[in-house]
Amino acid sequence: MKLFKITLILVALIFVLTPIAHAKKVTLKFYYPVGVSGPLVKVINGMVAKFEKQNPDIDIEPIYAGNYNQTMQKVQTAVMGGNPPDVAVVEISELYSLLAMDAIIPLDKYINKEGGKEFLNNFFKAFLGNAYGTDGKIYGFPFQRSTPVFYWNKDMFKRAADKLKAKGLDPNRAPITWDELVEYSKALTIRKGDKVKQYGLIIPGGWNDWIFEAFARQNGSQLMLADGKTVTFDTPENLEALKLWVDLMRKYKTCPVLRPWNITPDDFIGEVTAMMYYSTGGMAKIRKTAKFNFGVAFMPKKKQFGTPVGGGDFHIFKKIPKSHQDAAWKFIKFMTNPEMAGYWSRESGYIAVNKKSYQQPEMIAFLKKYPQMTVARDQLKYAYPKMMAVNYQKIRNAMTTNLDAALEGTKTPEQALKDAQREMEEALKQ
Amino acid sequence: MKERKYEILLKSLTLHIVSFIMILPFVWLVSTALKSPEEVFTQHLTLLPKKFMWSNFPAIMKAAPFDIYLLNTVIVCAGILAIQLILVIPAAYAFARLNFPGKGFTFILFVIQIMLPLEAIIIPNYLIAKALGLLNTRIGLILPFVASGFGTFQLRQTFKQIPASLEDAARIDGAGHFRFIWYVLIPLSKPTIITFSLISIATHWNDYFWPLIITEVDRVRTLTIGLGMFLQQESGSDWTLLMAATLYVCLPIIVLFLILQRTFIKSFLTSGIKG
Repeated sequence: MKLFKITLILVALIFVLTPIAHAKKVTLKFYYPVGVSGPLVKVINGMVAKFEKQNPDIDIEPIYAGNYNQTMQKVQTAVMGGNPPDVAVVEISELYSLLAMDAIIPLDKYINKEGGKEFLNNFFKAFLGNAYGTDGKIYGFPFQRSTPVFYWNKDMFKRAADKLKAKGLDPNRAPITWDELVEYSKALTIRKGDKVKQYGLIIPGGWNDWIFEAFARQNGSQLMLADGKTVTFDTPENLEALKLWVDLMRKYKTCPVLRPWNITPDDFIGEVTAMMYYSTGGMAKIRKTAKFNFGVAFMPKKKQFGTPVGGGDFHIFKKIPKSHQDAAWKFIKFMTNPEMAGYWSRESGYIAVNKKSYQQPEMIAFLKKYPQMTVARDQLKYAYPKMMAVNYQKIRNAMTTNLDAALEGTKTPEQALKDAQREMEEALKQ
Repeated sequence: MKERKYEILLKSLTLHIVSFIMILPFVWLVSTALKSPEEVFTQHLTLLPKKFMWSNFPAIMKAAPFDIYLLNTVIVCAGILAIQLILVIPAAYAFARLNFPGKGFTFILFVIQIMLPLEAIIIPNYLIAKALGLLNTRIGLILPFVASGFGTFQLRQTFKQIPASLEDAARIDGAGHFRFIWYVLIPLSKPTIITFSLISIATHWNDYFWPLIITEVDRVRTLTIGLGMFLQQESGSDWTLLMAATLYVCLPIIVLFLILQRTFIKSFLTSGIKG
């Protein structure tokens, strides 16, 4: 009898549940890269689960797609194979490549429905600069966004206070100008005979094209115009910036040559260097492991403060059903709302893209504890869009190899800029 | 006698130094895997961690389902190798011992395949896998690699060196093609086959790009993808976790080599006598 009852209940349950299971569910494929350390795959999965709970009719399949380059390659393969993802986070400089492949849709329609300009005003303008195509339509939506910032070890500055004061430098703040940067780096470098025991500064290699873009902006120049076609790599201002780098690394020897990008935060944490240029993306890691007081400051200026932005934007793809595109927009809106953008910023070290995130109580408490995080936000006033171009990976290669050559001393700065300019123009013609 | 002792001493000393140099990176890997993040980059080199961080291992298991990844990697590598051997041995036999029209041309095609990097054919491979419904399957991970030009070339060279008299003898005893392959060629080419197998396993164990492109769910993903999650661009890597994950990923291969080491060397030694 009991068995019969249980069977009956089970059968009834199946009948009740079947319509739910058959209700039309949209499943979205979401490609994302992981750019910073920490269990971010878990964080993304958690945010996705929260979204699914609020939107029971949408399923998101979060798919880890490697680093930025690999994610772009996976997206390209999938698009060419006629099997595009529904939504993906891609490095911001790849926008023109995505457009050249005719892979993504403009988001203007969705944004207008949310209130157009007013809706966009919730987000930092600096982060939207890389979202527009040359046709003026908006194709990307900011998500994991960073800028380079200037890190300094407050304890080391204190230890070198006498030396700094002798030079007329304030040990309680970071350098503000390029000239000060040179002087601080000299005073903070400690040598034992010919060997450097402590570096004053690290300008890391690997992504040095990004840091170089900051220097170009600070000197009133840039690497490429916003049209994505006119290369302005070889300018007198940029030459001045590169010469400063070469001097720091080869003449004053206060900065190691081409320190690998990956190792630089560990050098800072291990007190191998007193100052470094690095992404805000490294902040969470340094906060967790550094055993000293550290400060974050604006990158020193020449003519002006200036920084490019970095990181990845959301895109919605073509050749998927409209219901998927609509659901993808819902997902993007959720991931960038004040609460989620703030949560993502606290977990990852990226800057929250939504201005309202900074009014959330959790965020206010967090920033009180870690005031360094506010500097990156404030520096956004001086932020410019990162250069964008079709064939970006090739162009980046031309920039880094020539910068590297100048820093290693195999090319003069003049020659390196000239070669980079030529190679970039060639890559654009393809 | 005295001279000999001196020789042995010199020999073993050299070997010890060389093996010490060879093993050093691995020791470093194990040491970093057990350190805490602050201890990785310090002014003074330390091999032994101050505090053993066994928690690095549970931490990597939390970051990604490494147990499923391991199982998938084993299945994929074993699958690739099994089908490779089934295809490569008869193919190598045909190229080494048989005459057929177009042999030279087809062989050139095989050699060309060795020179083609995977990246060059990734889009056509992807399209084929998609057309066959093999995206997100382990078969899709196996299939593109089963016809190995490299293996065919390597075994053909070995088969060619086996004297014709052995073949004649087998023929007189009434052996057909497959019997001859099974009883004569394979036993005599054991070292080559084992070498090829080890290279194949190591290559596909470490393959990253193809699995990344065609898999999207944890159910079928492989170890290297899990490893990739610890290599970050914007913030610098979690070295301790990265090394712990690396240890986990390469340990099975190392154990396999240690187990096979004896057979490996033995087959090299005996093959000379038999031939």
